[in-house]
Amino acid sequence: MIQLFQFLARQRVILLLLLLELVNVWAVFKYNAYQHTLYFNTTNQWAASILATTQEVKTYHQLRIVNGTLAQENAQLRTELLRLKSQQQPLTKLPYYVSEAMLNRYQAVASRVIDQSTRMSQNYLTIDKGRSDGILPGMAVISSTGIVGKVMSCTDNLALVVSVLHTSNSVSAKLKRSGELGYIKWPGYQSEVADMMDVSKYKKVVKGDTVVTSDYNAVFPPNIPIGIVAKVGLEKDDTFHDIKVMLFTQFATLQYVYVIKNRLAGQQAQLETTKPKSE
Amino acid sequence: MNFTFNFKWFFSVVFAIAIQVLFLRDIAIANVAFCFIYTWFLVKAPMQINPLLLLLGAMSVGWLIDIFYNTHGMHAFACVLVAWLRPVYFRILTPANGYDERSSISLAEMKWLWFFPYLFLMLMSHHLLLFILEAGDWTLIGFSVLKALSSTLLGMAVFGILEFFNRPE
Repeated sequence: MIQLFQFLARQRVILLLLLLELVNVWAVFKYNAYQHTLYFNTTNQWAASILATTQEVKTYHQLRIVNGTLAQENAQLRTELLRLKSQQQPLTKLPYYVSEAMLNRYQAVASRVIDQSTRMSQNYLTIDKGRSDGILPGMAVISSTGIVGKVMSCTDNLALVVSVLHTSNSVSAKLKRSGELGYIKWPGYQSEVADMMDVSKYKKVVKGDTVVTSDYNAVFPPNIPIGIVAKVGLEKDDTFHDIKVMLFTQFATLQYVYVIKNRLAGQQAQLETTKPKSE
Repeated sequence: MNFTFNFKWFFSVVFAIAIQVLFLRDIAIANVAFCFIYTWFLVKAPMQINPLLLLLGAMSVGWLIDIFYNTHGMHAFACVLVAWLRPVYFRILTPANGYDERSSISLAEMKWLWFFPYLFLMLMSHHLLLFILEAGDWTLIGFSVLKALSSTLLGMAVFGILEFFNRPE
């Protein structure tokens, strides 16, 4: 017994090292997994308040750029409004009509980014709206220019968003011109560029094509802009195009985002549970 | 290693962490060179410090940085391992006439031929561990090594400049 204690005392440094590193490895694997991030991260109240203050200072310095984006967005909304108004007439003549519920399906909640990273291999954002504003995990997050990511977890007043700049967050996408389907995946470096995968090499893809979210997307509403095709190549001995997409969203100066609530998400999920299960 | 020295050291550590968290967090040169100035406390800790104390200190500072970086245990892991490796580096770099009993770690006292290799070993091991752990993906290993190497060179430049201003009269 005494020998055991002597041994422990002699090896105390290495034992402490092993103990601390075990704790760290546990933390890395526990808190970096998808659903386990609530506790030790920037949604933590005091860390968030300090970060919010720093962000406030930065906000002040970037007001001009933000104003520009807002003005651009207003212009875009105005054109959209005009286009919709002009569409109203022919729509009523069609036998198909869109139900009121379907029309009002999506609701956007504007929210401010209080913390974010763009230069790590896995990037996240913290925003200042949470469960008390109706935000739930799984909701889509977009900016005024394009997609941003998806809500991963939320507290009462804050939410953590997995950015598109995350190597395991892929988004179903299509080419606007040809309607060709694929998905967007970030390779882990360069916050401006992502890859579009799964587009067959027999389809025509042109540099400058716009990439938008597809209609079958489980998270995002259809036709949200993602980016523009910057480079098209063939993958070595592969059947797919190697497409580089310049993202529309300027992650480095991102300050306001919109969380998209889908009012029919509950109904859709409920319907899908009634599908007959294959035995 | 008297009281005033420890006092100064402690406040420098707090200051370095604040700068790291508030200013350097989002800054990267060419997307590859990051400045981790908070490693200052590991580099400059007194030579005769109790290794247990240094391990616990490294753990708490790393953990604090992790909270702000959203990296949960990665900085802490790298810090603790480097804190443990520090005596090993001292042994590797022992000068011909051994260490002075009261020697502290500074450019003025240790000379650049000792100081910069020491800095390189410390920063490189820390950054390499951190970036590999952070990427969590062996296909990104080349990029991680590039980031670690460029960050180490940046760190050596920054610490070199700090030491230059920190010369005793």
